[in-house]
Amino acid sequence: MQTLPATTPAGRMKDFFFRYRIVTAILLTIFLVALPFLLGNGYYVRIATIVGIYVILVSSLNIIIGFTGMFSLGHAAFYGIGAYTSAMLTVMAGWPFWAALPVAGIVAGIFGALIGLATLRLQAIFLAFTTLGFGEITRIVILNWRSFTRGPLGIAGIPIPTFFGWTFDRNGYYYLVLVLAALTVAIIYRVYHSRIGRAFVAIREDETAARSMGVNVFGYKVLAFTMACVFAGIAGSFFAHFQRFVSADSFANLESFAIITMVALGGTGSIVGPILGALILVVIPEVFRFLARYRGVIYGLILILVIVLKPGGLAGVKGIFEKPKAAKRPRKQRRPKADSSAPGGRI
Amino acid sequence: MFLQQLVNGITQGSLFALLAISFAIVYGTLRLVNFATGSIYMIGAFFGWMVVKFVIPNLFLAIFAGALAGFVTGFILERFAFRALRGVARIASLICTIGFSWFLNEAMTVLFGAERKSMPSFYSDTAFVLGDVGVSWLQVILVVVAVVVLVSLQILIYRTRIGLAIRAVSLDFKTAGLMGIPIDRVISFTFSLAGAMAGIAGVLASAYYNAIFPYMGNIAGLKSFSAAVFGGLTSIPGAIIGGYLLGLIENFGVQVISAGYRDIIGFVILVIFLLVRPRGLLGRKSG
Repeated sequence: MQTLPATTPAGRMKDFFFRYRIVTAILLTIFLVALPFLLGNGYYVRIATIVGIYVILVSSLNIIIGFTGMFSLGHAAFYGIGAYTSAMLTVMAGWPFWAALPVAGIVAGIFGALIGLATLRLQAIFLAFTTLGFGEITRIVILNWRSFTRGPLGIAGIPIPTFFGWTFDRNGYYYLVLVLAALTVAIIYRVYHSRIGRAFVAIREDETAARSMGVNVFGYKVLAFTMACVFAGIAGSFFAHFQRFVSADSFANLESFAIITMVALGGTGSIVGPILGALILVVIPEVFRFLARYRGVIYGLILILVIVLKPGGLAGVKGIFEKPKAAKRPRKQRRPKADSSAPGGRI
Repeated sequence: MFLQQLVNGITQGSLFALLAISFAIVYGTLRLVNFATGSIYMIGAFFGWMVVKFVIPNLFLAIFAGALAGFVTGFILERFAFRALRGVARIASLICTIGFSWFLNEAMTVLFGAERKSMPSFYSDTAFVLGDVGVSWLQVILVVVAVVVLVSLQILIYRTRIGLAIRAVSLDFKTAGLMGIPIDRVISFTFSLAGAMAGIAGVLASAYYNAIFPYMGNIAGLKSFSAAVFGGLTSIPGAIIGGYLLGLIENFGVQVISAGYRDIIGFVILVIFLLVRPRGLLGRKSG
């Protein structure tokens, strides 16, 4: 993978980890498995579990925004659909958790596919618009369809999962989310380095070129979108059983924006970036509890500052927010600063 | 009942039209959707409310204050978040507007609290009776202000020098720059103008609905964006038609479906409409 010698500190670090990847992987696994015992405090284990949920959500949104370059602003809706599906199946229909988990992913995926099929042929902005609206619609339907979702009361008493007769405790949840998040990241990694992943990146870089090389642009876009929604649904199912209560408030548009901020902060189009983004933005508000009131303000500021000052995010890869190469002209030609990709419209 | 819905539809349609134009002029010049429009609407409402509460209870002064606040917010937004991003992928600016919107909403929540504030009632006397429906002076003022703003915007864009510059920039960014039009200033002005429209809509809405809170702009922004898309997103007449159409559809729609679903009626119709005609009512053909 790394053929050229890395010159940046980040690149050198990446090289180092790549050379000792087996050692790194073993150490990391030991660390993550031992983490609940290292943390000791049950509250910290709970935060680690929440980080795990966000790793799944942020990594999956990264498929849409970072790899394929589409605008999705309603990821929390699919997370919510997964959570409600799982909650309703276990509470009202009496299903076991292990059957509800994949079904939650599938149902979220079906909604994702429908939205993708309807809007991905149109201009890119329509996906942003539809997903933003879908987030709002999901919330309003959950609140109003009382006979089906119990409306504003939410669904309480979601059963604790059991594993061959063993009822999950705090550490059990942690290990389950660890396995789910690891699987998600591993699957996304494999997809990214496959033919499908290259098609996603080709679409992000230049849709017309990708199409002319025989990439089925529409098909791959729908695939990327649906895949991300399946992961979000699974995260939702886990969340429902972890929290043991779901209500529409947990899946409002603000939640979608939090996930977007995490993607942007970590670094779009990278594998490690979303994990970093989720870790930092979940842990920091917990450490600085006195800042809780300003959580939203800080997220907004971080989002603006990252995009304006450090478009690559923390992972420092060439993300989607960076200027394309063609735009970097010699200093002398100051004008026009025009964006060749934005031809302007008509009033 | 029919007349009542018609009057309500036209009143709310005026608000949607103002906000939809705010979306349309930014999209028309920069090809960028300003998702912070709803928050600028909220900022306008808050400044109007502050004028009424702390300075002088006059609706027209409040409208002016709201327009000014919107103008300044739009200017700041463009200056600090968009000029730097103009050569970058469009998604960067888009997400930046979301960050800005969120920042404004949360900042206002921290400053003023999340609970609803109310505007003293203005001009609530009945102006005239239409059939058996009383129309208040406030509704009349609201529609008149909206129409005056819309007409003056039309004059500004088609009859003045700065309007000519805006049209040139929206047609072709690069060439306009080569012709000596100061594109930075024109874009800055367009953003501020869009902000002022949103600010005016915010004050009018806060007087009409009698509720001011930090998240008031979210649903309003989303719905007006639907209206703008309805009209084709780049056309001002389209945005106006879209705004009034949305107001009417919503008010008549509530008669058929439960009121809880009011906020999504227009949206659902729009998505279906877009599948049939992606470029909107009056939009130009483009890929």
